[in-house]
Amino acid sequence: MKSLSLSKILGRILFWLIVIIIGFFLLFPFYWAINSSLKSEAQLQMTPTTFIPRDPETQEIAATMMNYLAVFRNEKFLTGLKNSTIVALTTTLLALTIGSFTAFALGKLRFRGRTPSLYLILSMTMFPQVAVLTGLYAVIRTLDMTAIPSMIFSYMLFTLPFTVWVLTAFFKGLPDEIMQSAQVDGATPFQTFWMILLPLTLPALVTTGLLAFINAWNEYLFALTFTTIEVDARTVPVAIALFTGEVSYQEPFGEIMAAAVLVTIPLLLLVLIFQRRIVAGLTAGAVKG
Amino acid sequence: MASLRKKIPRVSQLQKQEERLALLLLLPTFIILIAIAFYPLGSVFYTSLTDRVFASAQPVSFVGLDNYKNLLSLTIKELPPKIDEGTGEPLIDPETGDIEYESSVSVLPRDPVRFRELTQFSLLGTRYILGASDRDFIWSIWDTLVFVVITVILELILGMIIALVVNTRFPGRGMMRAIMLVPWAILTAVSSRMWEYMLNPTRTGVINVIFQMLGLGDGQTPFLVDPQYQLKAMIAIDVWKTTSFMALLLLAGLQLIPKELYEAAEVDGASKVRQFFAITLPMLRPVIAVALVFRTLDAVRVFDLFQIVLQQTRYSMASFAYYQLIGSQKMGYSSAASVIIFLIITIFAIWYIRMLGVEQE
Repeated sequence: MKSLSLSKILGRILFWLIVIIIGFFLLFPFYWAINSSLKSEAQLQMTPTTFIPRDPETQEIAATMMNYLAVFRNEKFLTGLKNSTIVALTTTLLALTIGSFTAFALGKLRFRGRTPSLYLILSMTMFPQVAVLTGLYAVIRTLDMTAIPSMIFSYMLFTLPFTVWVLTAFFKGLPDEIMQSAQVDGATPFQTFWMILLPLTLPALVTTGLLAFINAWNEYLFALTFTTIEVDARTVPVAIALFTGEVSYQEPFGEIMAAAVLVTIPLLLLVLIFQRRIVAGLTAGAVKG
Repeated sequence: MASLRKKIPRVSQLQKQEERLALLLLLPTFIILIAIAFYPLGSVFYTSLTDRVFASAQPVSFVGLDNYKNLLSLTIKELPPKIDEGTGEPLIDPETGDIEYESSVSVLPRDPVRFRELTQFSLLGTRYILGASDRDFIWSIWDTLVFVVITVILELILGMIIALVVNTRFPGRGMMRAIMLVPWAILTAVSSRMWEYMLNPTRTGVINVIFQMLGLGDGQTPFLVDPQYQLKAMIAIDVWKTTSFMALLLLAGLQLIPKELYEAAEVDGASKVRQFFAITLPMLRPVIAVALVFRTLDAVRVFDLFQIVLQQTRYSMASFAYYQLIGSQKMGYSSAASVIIFLIITIFAIWYIRMLGVEQE
């Protein structure tokens, strides 16, 4: 440690340089969104653009909360938040309930056709949404569903298979003795599942629930298609994609960025708090373990 | 097993009970999947053979493979040079010295559908023109495939660098791992708008300012309008958004490699670079394979980014199908495009299953 060789010092410097570049690469666009959300229309039009909000005349630092206030007054955005919350929460609860039933059957019960069922469900995780778009829309119109239930219903397409997949692996990992001893005590398999196994799977439920929630919150194609006519049912991604200001005729980027920051921060907090679980869930499929 | 069950009837009854319960528990999942996946997919296949118009009472008729023909037809025609009326010789452009050719419209078929030019090329001194009956769709396939190949390769390389960095011990590693989740956590709709703004065609856009500072541009590059830059911009945005996902998968794989291997290599005096190629890369191969295919399947169906940023100026396969349905109301035609996307993804998926088949239980 006493005398570091020159190449080691250079290596250190190079390493930290890479760390800084990576950090910059990952964070810069989000930083830019925050920066732009604090600028007024005049500041947004400054050339060259400034890396912190500055006054166009004096070049002094000058931030404004105007865009945030405008976003909070924007009915479409607020309705979007409400719709997204309803859709994402219901989707998650439904996927977890139905998914855990199926995962229990696939993970712990013995029956014919278990492996094919698992593979069939697993194959659904790579199912392209766009391929069923026209067909699904036809189904929804036949069932005469409004936009919000249709979104919840159709989001099962990507939340349910994933939930089943991860939870099945988890149920398989639970020792068989738990079930056997419960059965000896006279519990039916369903009671065993509901009262003993399900509480044990809580960590996996949290992980899959979080990922299902984020995926449902993020979904855009179905939301955009199903709310084409029903404008009031638009979710946050659609609202942001189609965001137009109340007054200005050109694209109100300041407001868009403020809305972007507002919807990102709660999600970021959620992700950072549950960092370990999310990483475990994301990598569950890719890495054996 | 079967004979065993016969001998002990009590077990057989338990077994039956268990089987019945299992089917009951599987039922909701399968009903939902039939309603939102299998049935719609079947109806998409069927609709793709009709001329059905979306949300209309028009009678639907069966048109066979016409939709596919109109989507995929290509033609190659010879493009004759313009002939000078007086001399009978080909006209030469006085500025460039090149032969002037007839306009593409004159040689491409018009009936029953109008073909439009994809590209021109010269072979053995003759000028040919490649035309397509649906130029937008053929371009969308080409653009999507280019997008897939380049993003996946870039994401793998950058993701590997990030994963290797974050896997080494250094103060602030925990924070770096948290930062890695930031791009992933941002909604695609949001990140698309963020980048759209950053790529503004004037110096109000930060990318233009940075490019000018680095001497790479004049500060007026219309990244999202000029066809030359559109696809590059899409690739850049997607790489930013999903590299960290790739890095997460690779990091999980790196953590499974036993430390002893590196210690042994260290004792043998192998350099870090050698260690990477001799230990890390081979040990990581299965994870890389899965990560690549995950990303490929995801990239083939890219929609949000193209639809939000480029709208109808340039399509991915998915955004093409969307606009045919919602914009043009051509349900049959859109369905045929969807079927083609489905088939392309299935090809990738079969490749996936084959690769994973090796490590089945």
